[in-house]
Amino acid sequence: MPSSKSHLSQTEFFDQLEKLFSHRKGSDHGAIYLTQKRLTHSEDATLPSPDEEFPDLNLSEPVPILIRASNGKSARERGDKVRISTVVKPDDLDGFYVRYADICKAGMAALKPRDRSKKKAKAKKKKAGP
Amino acid sequence: MPYFETAQEWLDQSNLLLQARPATTRITTRYSIKPARTRKSKTGDESATDDAAATTETKPPRGSLVIKTYDPESGVVLKYRTTKAAEVSRLFQSSLGRLGRGMAAMPEPPVEEAMPDAPPAGAAAEGASTPTGTAGQQQTGGGGKRKKKGKK
Repeated sequence: MPSSKSHLSQTEFFDQLEKLFSHRKGSDHGAIYLTQKRLTHSEDATLPSPDEEFPDLNLSEPVPILIRASNGKSARERGDKVRISTVVKPDDLDGFYVRYADICKAGMAALKPRDRSKKKAKAKKKKAGP
Repeated sequence: MPYFETAQEWLDQSNLLLQARPATTRITTRYSIKPARTRKSKTGDESATDDAAATTETKPPRGSLVIKTYDPESGVVLKYRTTKAAEVSRLFQSSLGRLGRGMAAMPEPPVEEAMPDAPPAGAAAEGASTPTGTAGQQQTGGGGKRKKKGKK
């Protein structure tokens, strides 16, 4: 998939991510992988020198981070594999994570919902019991 | 690698790892769904076959969320697992968001305790609001000290 090689814009990424999640909703198995890391290019990475042992620790200014999402299909199932990525600039981080959390929360429907009714029922039983 | 008991532990350790190796550390979140295990009903019950079919249909598949911090250079892996939907938004927004800021080499966000005391954007122009502003700062200073003690 050559199209998946290039980074998507934030809105495109979110659209695709929603699709990825909705694809999972109907099925009873499968996984979605989300990864985040600092965006670095190996070419322009500053190499450690005797003067500065850890150049990564003292950056002059913030760097963007890379967000990836995939449905975890192996290369053998290339046809079904979905792989998307986007780059988030430092200034956009807060807004991005708000949206990101919303979509993931909505998408992860198979997790246990907060069940207050059961707890209350149990507590009532305990109170009533002894 | 074992899983951490609490999300807070995972977050603290991940933060430390990220501070040490900001360029190579990555955080992977795996959301996986597995079919619910069906309990095999004992043979002999006449109605068991019908019931079994009914229960498998009613039981929804189980989802779980594993969040993993990994630094390929040192080989450190930090993991946390949850099945609760209530934790998702906190994990994503505050934990991943905070760690994302660390990755981007952004300054640490202001202490949360300071937020209610923080003067509104327009307050700088008003002279009357300055006393409350300084009071808020003093309070946050105290909060910071308390936090440092807690870390020991």
